[in-house]
Amino acid sequence: MIRVEGLKKRFGSVQAVNEVAFEARDGAITGLLGPNGAGKTTTLRMLYGVMKPDAGAIHVDDVDAVAAPQAAQGRLGVLPDGFGLYPRLTAREHIHYFGELHGISGAALRTRTEELLHLLDMSAIADRRTGGFSHGERTKVAIARALVHNPRNVLLDEPTNGLDVMSTRAVRTIVRRLRDSGHCVLFSSHVMQEVSALCDAIVVVARGQVVARGTPDELRVQTGRENLEDAFVALAGAELIEE
Amino acid sequence: MGHRPFHQTLVVIRKELKDSLRDRRALFSIAFSIVIGPVLVAFMMNRLADRQREAENITIPIVGQEHAPALIDWLRQQAGVSVTKGPDNPEQAVRDGEHDVVVIISNEYADRFRTSRPATVSLVGDSSRNASLPTIERVRRLLQQYNSEVGALRLITRGVSPAGVTALKLEEIEIATAQQRAVAVLTFIPMFIILAAFVGGMSIATDSTAGERERGSLEALLVNPVPRMALVAGKCIAAALLAMAAIVLTTTLTANIPRFLPLQDMGIRFRIGANEFMGILAAMLPVCLFSAALQAAVATLARSFKEAQTYMGVLVLLPMLPGVIATVSTIREESWMYIVPVLGQHVLVMGVLGGQPASPWAFVAAALIAALGAALLIRIMTTLFKVERIIFAR
Repeated sequence: MIRVEGLKKRFGSVQAVNEVAFEARDGAITGLLGPNGAGKTTTLRMLYGVMKPDAGAIHVDDVDAVAAPQAAQGRLGVLPDGFGLYPRLTAREHIHYFGELHGISGAALRTRTEELLHLLDMSAIADRRTGGFSHGERTKVAIARALVHNPRNVLLDEPTNGLDVMSTRAVRTIVRRLRDSGHCVLFSSHVMQEVSALCDAIVVVARGQVVARGTPDELRVQTGRENLEDAFVALAGAELIEE
Repeated sequence: MGHRPFHQTLVVIRKELKDSLRDRRALFSIAFSIVIGPVLVAFMMNRLADRQREAENITIPIVGQEHAPALIDWLRQQAGVSVTKGPDNPEQAVRDGEHDVVVIISNEYADRFRTSRPATVSLVGDSSRNASLPTIERVRRLLQQYNSEVGALRLITRGVSPAGVTALKLEEIEIATAQQRAVAVLTFIPMFIILAAFVGGMSIATDSTAGERERGSLEALLVNPVPRMALVAGKCIAAALLAMAAIVLTTTLTANIPRFLPLQDMGIRFRIGANEFMGILAAMLPVCLFSAALQAAVATLARSFKEAQTYMGVLVLLPMLPGVIATVSTIREESWMYIVPVLGQHVLVMGVLGGQPASPWAFVAAALIAALGAALLIRIMTTLFKVERIIFAR
C-alpha cells in the first residue's frame, strides 16, 4: 500500500508537483494518468527515493519513505522512466545483480530468477547480452530485475511507452497477475485507453496537481460525460488529447 | 544488517569488473598502455646501445693519408679503429651528415713533422649534433694520445724525461654508480607506470559514473536499497583493481627488458630484480585507489560521457608532469615530495630504480596520504550521488 499526502516539489521557478495526494491499495492497479509534464515522473521519483520532496508525506506500507528512503526501497519494485540496461551483461546477469544488491543469493536467487524468466516468458533470451535486444525485450529485463526481491509494491513509470502490440499485451498480463496475487501496483501513463483498460482506480494529474480520482465509472459520473475520452479531456484540459 | 553494505560493495565491484572486462575497446586501450611504456623504453635503450657500439668501432675518414703514413699505421693498430679515404669536400660531408667526423692532414705535415715543428691536423665535426659527439670525442682522444706518445719519444731521444713536461696527471673519477647512470636514461619509467594506472582505471571510472547516467541505468541502480557510499566505493575499488593489474603487468614487462636487449654492451647495468619489483609495487599500488577515485569524481561532475572522456584526457597529462620535467632536468628528492600523491610515487620509484630506495617511512607516508585522499574523494562522490542535479544531469 502506498499513501501520499501534500507532496510538493519545485524546480527553480516551476512548481512541478503541488499538493499531490492519493492512495494506492494492495490488490489493485492504480493508474497515474496525465499529459507529459504533468508531474507524474517527479511524483514517482519522490516515491522511490531518488528525489527529496520539498513538503509532504509518503508511506510505503507503514514505512515513512521520506525519513527512511532505503527501508521504503526494500518494499518497492520500480521500473523507472527511461530505464537503462548494461549492454554487455546478459538478461540473467541483470536480474542477479539487482537480486544480490537486495541481499538475495545462492539457490534462492537462482530459483527466483528462473521464476521471473518463466513469468515474463524470456527463457530463450536469458543468457544473451542485452546490447542487441528489442525495446520489448529490454522492458522485460527491466521489469524482471525490478521484481527480483518480490516486492509488495510495484511502481511502473510508463511501462508500455513505445512498445508494440504484443509486448504491450505481455506487460498488461504481468500487471494483472501482480494485482491478482495481492500486490499494490501503481503505474503511470499518458495513454487513456491503457489506463481505462487496466486500472481499478485512476488518479488524474495535470500541471502538478490531482484534478480527479476514482474508478473509471466514477470519473464518467463526475464529469457528466458518457465517453471516457471526453471525461479525461474535460478533466486534464486540452493537452491530453494532443498525445 | 551491519555487514550488508560491505557485501553490496563486493557485489558492485564484481559487476563492474565483469562488465568492463567484456568491453573490448577499454581492454584494448589498457593493453596498449601496458605495452607502450616497456616497448618505448626497450626501443630507446636499444638505440643507445647501438650508438655506443658504433662509437667503439669507428671508421675514420682521413684526407691526405699519404702525408702521414706513420700516424695512419698507428691508428690502424688501435682496437676498433679503421681508416678510409676522406671525402673530397669534408665540410659539406659533415654538414650533410655523411660522416660524424673527418680528419684532414695538411700538405706540409710531413715537412713540419720531420723538423719537429707542430704539424697541423684538422678535425671537422658538428658539435651541435649530439649523436656524433661520442665519435668526435673518441677521435680527438686518439689524436691526443698519438701526440703525447710522439712527444714523449722525442724528449727521450733528446735525453729529457717526459715526466718533466707533464705538470698535471688528470684522473677522472666517476661517482655515479652504473645503476644511477642507467636511471638517467630511465627517468621516464615511473612516468609510464603511473600512466598505466590512470589508463587502467579510466574505463570503469567513466563508464560506471557518467556512462551509467547517460545510459539511464543509474536511476534504476539508485532505486535499490543500497547506501550511496557502498555504490561509490564499489565503483572506485573496481577501477582501482584494474589500475593495479595494469601496473603489475607493465612493471613485469619492464623488468624483462634485459632478457631481450644486450644492455651490458652499453656499460649500464639495468636490473629490476625481485627487490626492485616489490619496491615499485609498494610505491605504486597504494596510489591506485586515489587515482581511480579522482577519475570517477571528475567523471561524475561531467555533464555527459563525452565530456567525462575529455576530462580524462586532461587528467592523464597530470601524472605525466613529473616525468616530463624529470627528462628535461633532474628532480632532486626532497621529503615534501613524498606527501604529494603521484609526485611522491614518482620519486619513490626513481629511488628504487636508482638502487637507493627511500626509507620505509617514506613509503608508508606516501601510502597513507594516498589512502586519505582516496577516502576524501569517495566521501565527496557519495555526496555528489545524492545531488539531484547530478543524478539526472540537469
